[in-house]
Amino acid sequence: MKYLALLCLLTGLYSCYGTRTSKGGGEISSPAPRTPNTADLVLPEGYTAEVLTTGLNFPTAMAFDEQGTPYVIEAGYSYGEIFTNPKLLKVANGKTTVVATGEKNGPWTGITFYKDNFYIAEGGQGEGGKILKVTADGKITALVKDLPGMADHHTNGPVVMNDHIYFAIGSATNAGVVGPDNADFGWLKRHPELHDIPCDDITLNGVNFETDNPLTADGKDKAVTGAYLPFNTAAKDGQVIKGKLPCTGSVLRIPVGGGKIQLVAWGLRNPYGLAVSPQGKLYVTENAADERGSRPLWGVGDVLWEVKDGTWYGWPDYSEGKPVKLFKTPGGTAVQTLLKNKPGNVPKPVAVLAVHSSSNGIDFSNNESFGYKGNAFIAQFGDMAPNVGKVLSPVGFKVVWVDVATGEVKDFAVNKGKKNGPASRLRTGGLERPVSVKFDPSGKALYIVDFGILRTTPEGQSVPVENSGVVWKITKR
Amino acid sequence: MRTIIFLCAMICMACTARRMPVTSENRTESAQLAHGRDKYMQYCQKCHPMGETGLGPALNNLPAPGFIKRFQVRHGLGAMPAFKQDVISRNDLNGIMRYMRSMKKSEKLPV
Repeated sequence: MKYLALLCLLTGLYSCYGTRTSKGGGEISSPAPRTPNTADLVLPEGYTAEVLTTGLNFPTAMAFDEQGTPYVIEAGYSYGEIFTNPKLLKVANGKTTVVATGEKNGPWTGITFYKDNFYIAEGGQGEGGKILKVTADGKITALVKDLPGMADHHTNGPVVMNDHIYFAIGSATNAGVVGPDNADFGWLKRHPELHDIPCDDITLNGVNFETDNPLTADGKDKAVTGAYLPFNTAAKDGQVIKGKLPCTGSVLRIPVGGGKIQLVAWGLRNPYGLAVSPQGKLYVTENAADERGSRPLWGVGDVLWEVKDGTWYGWPDYSEGKPVKLFKTPGGTAVQTLLKNKPGNVPKPVAVLAVHSSSNGIDFSNNESFGYKGNAFIAQFGDMAPNVGKVLSPVGFKVVWVDVATGEVKDFAVNKGKKNGPASRLRTGGLERPVSVKFDPSGKALYIVDFGILRTTPEGQSVPVENSGVVWKITKR
Repeated sequence: MRTIIFLCAMICMACTARRMPVTSENRTESAQLAHGRDKYMQYCQKCHPMGETGLGPALNNLPAPGFIKRFQVRHGLGAMPAFKQDVISRNDLNGIMRYMRSMKKSEKLPV
């Protein structure tokens, strides 16, 4: 009996979540200069890694031209309020040359190559999101602009399918309500008028949230804010918010030559990575809600969805296809729904990924010689604890593969070490923050775009390290 | 008592929670194991990714016997919610336990 009691005690202590401190991947004091070393990566047997290029400034995505030449984009913006000029770089023999330089309106989050031109998603932290067309000689034209991307999340994608450019726009907020957490990001003081925008008419149930007011000097000042409304604007029961395009938390498309924005799907929080499977189906990764702000959600896994035209995916009242009441913070108050009527039936996810893993860029294997044909590869940027909530150990910081038929998630590229985590925390030369993956046109090599070092302070602030980005190349021996 | 605590601590220290990545090709499993894997992915993976520590603690090196793990699934503990039979059926829980045992047996990551 005493053995049983002891085991129960050990299990209980081990599981005592409340007493344990957060140990996120970025929660380090002073990272050493980065020295990438492929020996510090662990891959499945038969695969090998090499370093394509280093010293990149917040790289986020890759594309290949018709000759198979690799190109990489530098974001031009990082959480932590670092603004630089985004760049399109050509990579040859490990060296980069600048093809095009954008305005300080990053982050450039994604790129695709289609019929002689590059198409880039410009996040829009400065003046709103854009979809850019960039010619081979570096001429930049905006096919669409003034997308809502100046808040928590940005304009993402793009991919080309059926002669349309599909792209995504992330939500302005964590869970539908503007709050003091958005001031911590930096944008609320620049743009106090911003809020989420539905793609179709919605009816609010009048729930409001009282918070501190970071927009006034008086520390005792309070604000009352409702969903889909500017900060310190209360919602009324039955209030209708008109839907419009472009909207937040959505997948949208335009014709490749430019034209009117069309709605594809909505009700997503931060739809980040878009990819088309070998079967011609569109998939998107969704960064799920954090435990922060006026309406914190706890324990929500990131999601891989198949994107179907006209579908509402549930945000802000559902996550992972489940009602938000299931995601109450331990010891916290119940999570209230915001919408009076459900705009649609919420589908089931293809796969649920680790909580706070920041599952971002995605691509599919379509070559038997590489293996995993038909399976998805997803880059996990890694947790941003403590700002997103507490984790017991670093989450993400690796590349996983997903069997889209079963929803199975398995590691593909991880760092050596007794524990998972970014190289800066493990003090190795391995992966830091993988942000996207891309197969070359032959499908024989998988490239991992590694954003670089981004640490977090105990107060939740992001501290990125410039010029610490790397591109890794994985091949099968 | 001290011996038991010491042994438990040694078990925890000796086991790594981390397992080697596998290819899609070199994985063979029974239908029962596949069922357990599917349920693990549905209910457990997001907090215990690959059986490692994440939002929740690691499972791959958890020395507790199976009946305690089953008790924890059914009744919850700490921040972990309870999963009653109407959510995870007895058959599904058996499958999850089977999959967790298979993870513990799979090749450990070199450190």
